[in-house]
Amino acid sequence: MSRPTSFPSEWTLQRLIAFVAALGVGVATYIAIADSGGGAPVCIAGGSGCQTVADSSYSHLLGVNVAVFGIVGYLLLLASAFLVGDAARFGGFVVALGGFGFSVYLTYIEVFKIEAICQWCVASAVLMTILFLLSATRLIGYAGAEGELAADAG
Amino acid sequence: MPAENERRQRLLQLAAGAVFLAIVAVAVLIVVSSGGSGGDTNLEEKAEVNRLLSGIPQKGLVLGDPKAPVELVEFGDLQCPVCKGYSEEILPPIIEGKVKRGQVKIDFRNFTIIGPQSVPAGAAAIAAGEQGRGWNYVELFYRNQGAEDSGYADDAFLKAIAEGAGVKNIARWEKERQKLTPEVEKTTAEARRLSFSGTPSFAVKGPHSNGLEPLGTPGSTGAMEEAIEKAS
Repeated sequence: MSRPTSFPSEWTLQRLIAFVAALGVGVATYIAIADSGGGAPVCIAGGSGCQTVADSSYSHLLGVNVAVFGIVGYLLLLASAFLVGDAARFGGFVVALGGFGFSVYLTYIEVFKIEAICQWCVASAVLMTILFLLSATRLIGYAGAEGELAADAG
Repeated sequence: MPAENERRQRLLQLAAGAVFLAIVAVAVLIVVSSGGSGGDTNLEEKAEVNRLLSGIPQKGLVLGDPKAPVELVEFGDLQCPVCKGYSEEILPPIIEGKVKRGQVKIDFRNFTIIGPQSVPAGAAAIAAGEQGRGWNYVELFYRNQGAEDSGYADDAFLKAIAEGAGVKNIARWEKERQKLTPEVEKTTAEARRLSFSGTPSFAVKGPHSNGLEPLGTPGSTGAMEEAIEKAS
């Protein structure tokens, strides 16, 4: 399992992960704040999808809004982007994998159980998918490499 | 660099294992959530109920602006097929018109006459109301009603309606609904005091009504609106 040669530098991947994770923190925080006030995120394109999803029993897990889990996930990914070494690469990958899997599940719930689509949830799912791809690329490209060497590569 | 290659190989194997576990976990979650036990997979017209009630304030089992000058009281039994007909045909134009405009609020009160399951069903609706989803519960129940008093309204059905209605804390709802039978009995007694004998029965209260005035069972949206106008 040798490293492919045409990879972006790890530093570039880290910066991209940090940028997308910061966007994710913003989206998840907005959803959590809107819900904590007893309301729902405002669907920019109109419709009542966001209200319907926020009102459903699936918007909470163990009494906690699922967006709060999203905030924690994005913050962990943000932290992984600023760290070097295999622990950060693998940890970031595992968190992104978990987030991506949870997003797949939540999207299934929206489409088949709640029968409504919330644009903010879709935005979060897209961001988490991008983060999963970036984290996987980082791990595949630089697993086993010294942090400093990987930062200089590319 | 054999050490680096070895570490890399081990990490990538671990990552592959994690991907496998994630796929299994998501598949299990989806299978479990699509199962029938207490789930709301087969609920009818959930989207229609959400659309009808969207943006209308609810407090307990009262739908509409709390400051609305007129109060229309529905004494209903969730297992009653005629009430279902009212919920689907007679009341929606009033909800979309006078209720949305803040001219009238509708108060659902249990009048349990159909069978023994009507009482826990009514208590469950009140418990849903304590989490702001009372009317979603009532409307969704009516739209998924089974054959009259056939035993369909068991605990699993009530829970499925609660989940479909968007009751967020199901554990709290389960706990509270057990204690609300006296509330159901209280409104049933109130309906009898008003000399009602069937469901749904309506009463209206407004600036020009003589207290809570019994209307009986107006047969159309127009008759209901006329009574509201008179009380306004």
